[in-house]
Amino acid sequence: MSQSVETLDEIVERYPGQPEYLIFMLQDIQSTYGYISEDSMKVVCDYSGVPLTQGYSVATFYQSFRLDPRGEHEVRVCLGTACHLKGGQRIVEEVERRLNVAAGGTTEDLRYTLSTVNCVGACALAPVVVVDEEYLSNMTAKKLEKHLKTLDYDLENETKEHGHV
Amino acid sequence: MTTPLVTLTIDGKQIQAPEGLNLLQAARENGIDIPGLCYHHKISPTGACRLCVTKIEGRNGLVMACTIGVADGMTVTAFDAELEATRRHTLDYLLAEHNESDDGTYADEFRELVVRYGLSDPEKRTYPNIHKEMGYPVDDTSPILTYDASKCIKCFRCIKACDEVQGKNVLSFADRGITSHIVAGFGKWDDSECDGCGECIQLCPTGALVEKPHRDQIRMDRVEKRVRTTCPYCGVGCQISLHVQDNSIVRATGEEGLSPNDGRLCVKGRFGLDYVQHPERLTTPLIRKNGVLVETGWDEALNLIAEKFSGIKQNAGSDALAGYASAKCTNEDNYLFQKLVRTVFGTNNVDYCTRLCHASTVTAMLKSIGDGAGSNSIEDFATTDCLFVTGNNMVETHPVTATYVKAGKAKGNRLIVCDPKWTPLAAIADIWLQPRLGSDVALFNGMIRHIIKSGLMDEDFITTRVDGGKAAVKKLEAVVAEYTGKLVEKITGVPETLMKTAADIYAAADTAIIATGMGLSQHTTGTHNVFALINMMLITGQIGKERAGIDPPRGQNNVQGATDVGCSPLFYPGYIPVTDEVNRKRMAGLWAVEHRALSIKPGLTTVEIINKAHSGEIKGMYIMGENPMITDPDLNHTEQALRNLDFLVVQDIFPTPTTEIAHVVLPAFTFAEKEGTFVNSDRRVLRVRKAVEAPVDTRDDWRIIMDIARHMGHDIGTYDSAAEIFDEIAQAAPMMRGISYERLETAGIQWPCPNKDHPGTGTLFLDRFNTPNGKGILHPVAHTPPTEKPTEIYPFLLNSGRILYHYHSATMTRRSKPLSEFADAAYVLMHPVDAGKYGFSDGDRVTVTSAQGELETTLSISTEVAETELFMPWHFAESPVNRLTRNDLDPFSKIAPFKLTACRVERAKE
Repeated sequence: MSQSVETLDEIVERYPGQPEYLIFMLQDIQSTYGYISEDSMKVVCDYSGVPLTQGYSVATFYQSFRLDPRGEHEVRVCLGTACHLKGGQRIVEEVERRLNVAAGGTTEDLRYTLSTVNCVGACALAPVVVVDEEYLSNMTAKKLEKHLKTLDYDLENETKEHGHV
Repeated sequence: MTTPLVTLTIDGKQIQAPEGLNLLQAARENGIDIPGLCYHHKISPTGACRLCVTKIEGRNGLVMACTIGVADGMTVTAFDAELEATRRHTLDYLLAEHNESDDGTYADEFRELVVRYGLSDPEKRTYPNIHKEMGYPVDDTSPILTYDASKCIKCFRCIKACDEVQGKNVLSFADRGITSHIVAGFGKWDDSECDGCGECIQLCPTGALVEKPHRDQIRMDRVEKRVRTTCPYCGVGCQISLHVQDNSIVRATGEEGLSPNDGRLCVKGRFGLDYVQHPERLTTPLIRKNGVLVETGWDEALNLIAEKFSGIKQNAGSDALAGYASAKCTNEDNYLFQKLVRTVFGTNNVDYCTRLCHASTVTAMLKSIGDGAGSNSIEDFATTDCLFVTGNNMVETHPVTATYVKAGKAKGNRLIVCDPKWTPLAAIADIWLQPRLGSDVALFNGMIRHIIKSGLMDEDFITTRVDGGKAAVKKLEAVVAEYTGKLVEKITGVPETLMKTAADIYAAADTAIIATGMGLSQHTTGTHNVFALINMMLITGQIGKERAGIDPPRGQNNVQGATDVGCSPLFYPGYIPVTDEVNRKRMAGLWAVEHRALSIKPGLTTVEIINKAHSGEIKGMYIMGENPMITDPDLNHTEQALRNLDFLVVQDIFPTPTTEIAHVVLPAFTFAEKEGTFVNSDRRVLRVRKAVEAPVDTRDDWRIIMDIARHMGHDIGTYDSAAEIFDEIAQAAPMMRGISYERLETAGIQWPCPNKDHPGTGTLFLDRFNTPNGKGILHPVAHTPPTEKPTEIYPFLLNSGRILYHYHSATMTRRSKPLSEFADAAYVLMHPVDAGKYGFSDGDRVTVTSAQGELETTLSISTEVAETELFMPWHFAESPVNRLTRNDLDPFSKIAPFKLTACRVERAKE
């Protein structure tokens, strides 16, 4: 814990302690830790002179900030107009069942985080699901399940190999 | 600096308004009721609700009235068919997300508009309601409020109430778009820094933010009346409105538009009034029989009191009697109290807790500038260029005053905080000076020396307004010459550069106000501390003009008034010395007594009375609304003294540690049950009004005093109302001569107010000081090291003070559920370095011991205190700090050094 606090200090000290640098600090913390904990938010707000609640406000305004720990893989189902019309919502419901987690949540084993987004700007590929950095086009619930199985398979193999060694 | 008036036309009607005032406010002030939900006069315009749309000639489109300042010749359309249709559509749209369920506990501006625009019937609306599908959150975690996002119209009023009005910045919006909602702190109310002032509730135009206390009881249609009165807690004197239902206070709100608070309240004023209806109230006189207090009737109690007091007077003389008046009671109560002591007891032995708070401040101020009261108005704290706050934790002790300070700071005014302990104001100060306990004189002398050396004095002011002029400054210069930056740093621990910067800011500011407090006054050097401060003020000319001066915020609701009306061993009403022969004759005439019957001998002060009770010279005491068994220094000694009395009468609203040792206990009224007046910290005489009926067998304090006099065979006047007593006060105290209940009906008046046409005085000393020759007097003083020092046996220095949620001996506040939910336990603060040295952990039970006594409490490790220093709140009877404190008095003002006691801390025995 104490080690991570040091790193946190290092992150914020990359910037001047002024309110206008709040978002830069939050972005760096988001990319380092995958989420912004209450403790890190307090450090950032103290340092930049922003009231804690305004830090919270900023972090909840932008979709790119997370306040909870994230899963190993990020599954984002697009629900923009085009995706919505082509069955995006069905995909969400299927994958919620498959992963046993509501959209916006993270599976208990911290393996997947499922979320919905309003538009990823790839309407021609609708319906789109973004898994980690990969854009999967013309998705169906089935195709997505297959993709997730591949990820699980990779994981099992890693574990097995690891077991042999 | 009054803003010029401009003329504009709204819907054909010509109106005048100050240039630049926002159009919505100007229209409403002129009876043109443009609708709007996000605007409130205390906050900056938001333009979020879009209901105040208007048309302005020469401008395109619809203009929101709250966002535009009025200008000369402006022609405005506020109402026409198009505007009304637009407003109706906006409301219709807002209704789509709105939860209209209503439990009848709150006023709802939104619902009123829905009715006004004929949208009550869902059939008449365009959009279906979707609030249920939205799953809006409810935050019910705070002890004092509930937030329901489904009733929120996102108007920003609560956010701005918290930020701009109260300076706390605890609220914001979370999420965005249709799901956005209000959050406190990091998303959860009870984990946030919310301190429960309730400003957000007061400004919420819907039922999104509602208070929790009494919610199961309040029904808006059954609230019988709203009574405007004055808050009974600290000396700010906030004007509050008590909402009464079934003879019970169900809600308190701040009165908008009235000084000093303009609707602001703190958590105590808004949520700390349930003590009035508390089942533990004293409801019948008690009399000690066979060592036990038993219930009795008024006749028996009054007869016994008369017999005992008269007996003591006859056998041991008038000076064997003494009285403690009360800073909690009204002017009328206190005036009659001192009249009883002076004319019936026949002594000047009348004092009260002011001796323990500000005696040193008042002593020094009287000698230097001629008045002990604050020289400015509370609102000036927001407008002065520099505020120097010393020994005054006002965010917790005078929370509403602090809102003005924060507003000033937000506008860019300078703030210097001088305190050995961290305070919430230190967090936002430009400079925080942290002198060691008991080193204030050295610090101020160092600042004075620097000011003189740097030529930052106000030479004109010194020549015209300071007694002895430049020659007097030469004498001061000689005394402060040795206080070089290096020496001051050595004595105080304050870095030389910081001390000098603070002096530069203070001296160079166009206007500067000093706010002092108990941290400065409660020392054996209390008077000298204030002399040093006043010296600095006089040589820089930071007094004698608007927005400049010195203000000791009064701790209690009527600490100012009680002395104003003569509850002092040294002064008659109006600060006229008891030794003044002319006045004594005048008062004898007013009181219709033989003037020789009025003692010319100055009486004993608070702690002196206790000492004489201890030695047996004082034999009988009458204590009204005070609890010396918690509030006096060196409680073991105090207890022995009070037990040593032949006869002790205590008049109060609750049983206290002091009533426990009384011979007779008399049940009195609370502030909510009586008519009267208080005087607040800025000399404002404010009305107290009856809101509820008192318990059957209790009596108003002044009536009890009259009864005691009568039973002792004296007539101290026949009064039928508090107003009649006030009229006599106006005759007795020259500075209140022009004040009457009639004039106080609409708003308070600041004394001096010498005649009926005088508007009252906001700033003192504009032309002259109240000294014999009208000039301010320098009193050069040298630093004397504290008599109390850390030793091997007692290595720590203990400081004491108040916290936001409790008030003095906590007789009232600990009987409030919300306040106790915020804080209900004593603690001692210790610096982490010291805790490490002694192997203590946070939360350890410890014993704190001084030469005077010991107590047990919980250790809290904190950097709010300096190393080797400790801090304890003194509210808690189970850890009574004053078991530890000393009664070594400041020789000049007789104040006790509550702020400095050598102690040791040990792990408590299992």
